[in-house]
Amino acid sequence: MQADCEVAKKFALAVWILGGVARNNFYHKNNMNEIILMVHVLFGVGCIIAAVWVFVDVLNASESNLSRIKWMSRASAIFMWLAIFFGGYWYVVFYKVDKAIILKGPWPFAHNFFMESKEHLVIMLLLLATYLPVAASNNLAGNKDARRLVLWVAAMVPLLGLMIEGHGAIIAMGVKVALEAGQH
Amino acid sequence: MQNSISKYTVSFGLSFALASVLNALLVVAKESSHAVQGWMQKLTGHHWVTHCVIIIAAFVFFGLTFAKANGGQGLKIGADSLIKIVVGGVVAGYLIITGFYLIAG
Repeated sequence: MQADCEVAKKFALAVWILGGVARNNFYHKNNMNEIILMVHVLFGVGCIIAAVWVFVDVLNASESNLSRIKWMSRASAIFMWLAIFFGGYWYVVFYKVDKAIILKGPWPFAHNFFMESKEHLVIMLLLLATYLPVAASNNLAGNKDARRLVLWVAAMVPLLGLMIEGHGAIIAMGVKVALEAGQH
Repeated sequence: MQNSISKYTVSFGLSFALASVLNALLVVAKESSHAVQGWMQKLTGHHWVTHCVIIIAAFVFFGLTFAKANGGQGLKIGADSLIKIVVGGVVAGYLIITGFYLIAG
């Protein structure tokens, strides 16, 4: 019984290692690191665009565009959830390599400040984007207070989103300058 | 013209502000204490994943709890105050997180 258990454990370990190797080969061959990162950014931009759309539509809120406002606010939230899903996966699986490169380069603040704050500010953005469709569920055509609230929330999503996109750009630049410094 | 805001808009607005500040305070706690970060690391395999789970759960929990207050009618609060609280939550969360990493980083 114990021998069977040991064999099963070794088999599971072998499957786990081979699966990991196969996954790493697949990721490496297909540039999955970069693709996942780009998908993360793409959905982040989608969230920002949808929130700007909501902001403009709410400025002219009427019975005719209420349904569109609700759908676009939902789209902003869904894009944000997808952005954090792909970004989170990339951060947990791939970022350690970039982090090591950044910390050895001339821009360690790209990790120490920009990445560290980005990974936590993004949680706040996720909640804010999730709150947008809740706030937009009121009758915005006939409710001035609800309109003002949605305008504030819809304005803060792109503001925070663009700031976080900027952090991402500095992190990428941190890797680039570190690699360039390593070549000289 | 109807000027009332739904109970879920109020409760999740307040919950958002609370969760934003909680998010920032959890950053300070885990970065200042290896024990806290180790516990968060152990829970899901990565401290950031645990951080996300805690904050999202807090947002949902407080949102639903505030909506049930007042005998199920939810918390009563004016639109101006709600906007100030939501914006205040963003500003406080942003300042605590960036301020902490500026000083500690």
